[in-house]
Amino acid sequence: MTTLIKLEILRTLRNKRYLMFTVLYPALLYVFFISAYGSGGTVAGGVSVKSYFMVSMATFGAVGAVLTGSAQRISLERKSGWTRQLRLTALPGHAYTIGKIAACAVTTLPAIAVVFAIGAIEGVDLTAVQWLGLAAALWLGSFVFAALGVALGYAAQPDAVQPAVMIVYMLMALFGGTWFPVSDSLKTYARFNPVYDYNQLATFIHGQAVATSAVLALAGFLALFAAAAAYLYRKDAQQA
Amino acid sequence: MGTGTGEVAAFRNVSKNYGRVKAVNGLDLVLRPGETVALLGPNGAGKSSSLDLLLGLREPDSGTVELFGGAPRDAITSGRVGAMLQSGGLMSDVKVRELVTLACKVHPKGHTPDEVLTTAGITEIADRRVDKLSGGQEQRVRFALAVAGANDLIVLDEPTTGMDVSVRRQFWDAMRAQAAAGRTVLFATHYLEEADSIADRVLVLHKGRLIADGTSAEIKAKAGARRIGFELHPSDGGRLDEALLRSLPGTVGLDIGTRTDGVHTVRIRSTDADAGVAALYKAGLYPRGLEVTSLGLEQAFLTITGEQDKDDEESAR
Repeated sequence: MTTLIKLEILRTLRNKRYLMFTVLYPALLYVFFISAYGSGGTVAGGVSVKSYFMVSMATFGAVGAVLTGSAQRISLERKSGWTRQLRLTALPGHAYTIGKIAACAVTTLPAIAVVFAIGAIEGVDLTAVQWLGLAAALWLGSFVFAALGVALGYAAQPDAVQPAVMIVYMLMALFGGTWFPVSDSLKTYARFNPVYDYNQLATFIHGQAVATSAVLALAGFLALFAAAAAYLYRKDAQQA
Repeated sequence: MGTGTGEVAAFRNVSKNYGRVKAVNGLDLVLRPGETVALLGPNGAGKSSSLDLLLGLREPDSGTVELFGGAPRDAITSGRVGAMLQSGGLMSDVKVRELVTLACKVHPKGHTPDEVLTTAGITEIADRRVDKLSGGQEQRVRFALAVAGANDLIVLDEPTTGMDVSVRRQFWDAMRAQAAAGRTVLFATHYLEEADSIADRVLVLHKGRLIADGTSAEIKAKAGARRIGFELHPSDGGRLDEALLRSLPGTVGLDIGTRTDGVHTVRIRSTDADAGVAALYKAGLYPRGLEVTSLGLEQAFLTITGEQDKDDEESAR
């Protein structure tokens, strides 16, 4: 199984278009936001523009990386018959999914790291513990979306999966605080948006307590998406 | 290696429907160790469905499928079966060698990647990206995945599709070597000459049923091995006697046409064309433009499936 996982990671890192989209794109947007809002500005709640968008662009890149990396590829490889071919090997059925999630998990790291590096250069000031804690929180949080991506990959055909992923991704980002902070009137509903909860993981760097409710909500989403992915995977295996 | 005796694979009264379509209809079949078996049938005959059932990719609606006396999945996890599917995609963004290495590593009795590359004849494209290969090259990579380990059974679904003639020959040489090493080989094909020259057993599947099972010589004999064609001209005096033609030795099929000028064209399918022609002359007939042609497996195949269709229509009436 490790051979498959290693190969999945290698081929993902080799795919230049994928890296452009998931690593370069959020980094460019981050630079754009800083210059648009002015580097000394603050957003609602008094959080500085630099650190707010550093978090939201890191989560944007991470969500994009895992959603497209898993959903699109799984859907395409179901269509091409590669998943069937793999079922003719001694590998257990879940090895394929684990390989996909592992490859996603590896690619979220550069997406997060590049945005963090720009943030540090722009003067986001965090302690070493905060940097590491934030990176770990955002990395672990991305697994929620990897599970969602696997579920989408098994639910949709290749021609439908790209728009499906884009719509889900953009709606979650729009109402999840990726482009602008969620207004107070919408916060009641935002709890049901995994991207909002994901962004909330970073509140501890602004001197607040760790957002326990966001952690719990994400754990719930993870359980839900994983169950959906497992169900859809089994259904797919029967139809082969 | 090899099981010596016993059954490699067994279908016992297996049926599989997709909606109203009976893809596989009461299939009974046993494969024995060391056989090279061709599976023939027109499109939609149930070849791919049968192979899917055999490999445990699908479950039958009724009946049982066994590989080496157990569930198909168990035979696969213990590394006894290698398969090349028509619909088997390949991993993209990897090199041929990396993909073959993966297949060797996950196989419980895997060969070394170099051996497998040589067997499949793809050493020279080992460093190419999988997504940049031609159709024939892709087929050979799929073949490499099927022979990545010491399997007892190799299953191939239309393996030479997309290969040009010389590559196809190379491919079958590699396949013969597998069979010579004692492996059981089952392949579906629509190139009948492949079945004729390679298989020692031919199965004909039609509408989900097994309608013929034997050596290719037996299948040809079943269909009437040769065709006798000639014309009977009224000017030669011989009149058309259908009963006489039908009673010629070896006759299994008769087809008579009459042209506007009164000339009858006769075509006889015969299991004993020599005796048939001799009897023709003895009966005092003067057959003009006499031709005796041997029926290839292809024509035999068409004849058998055509007869089956006729039977089906009659029983439906």
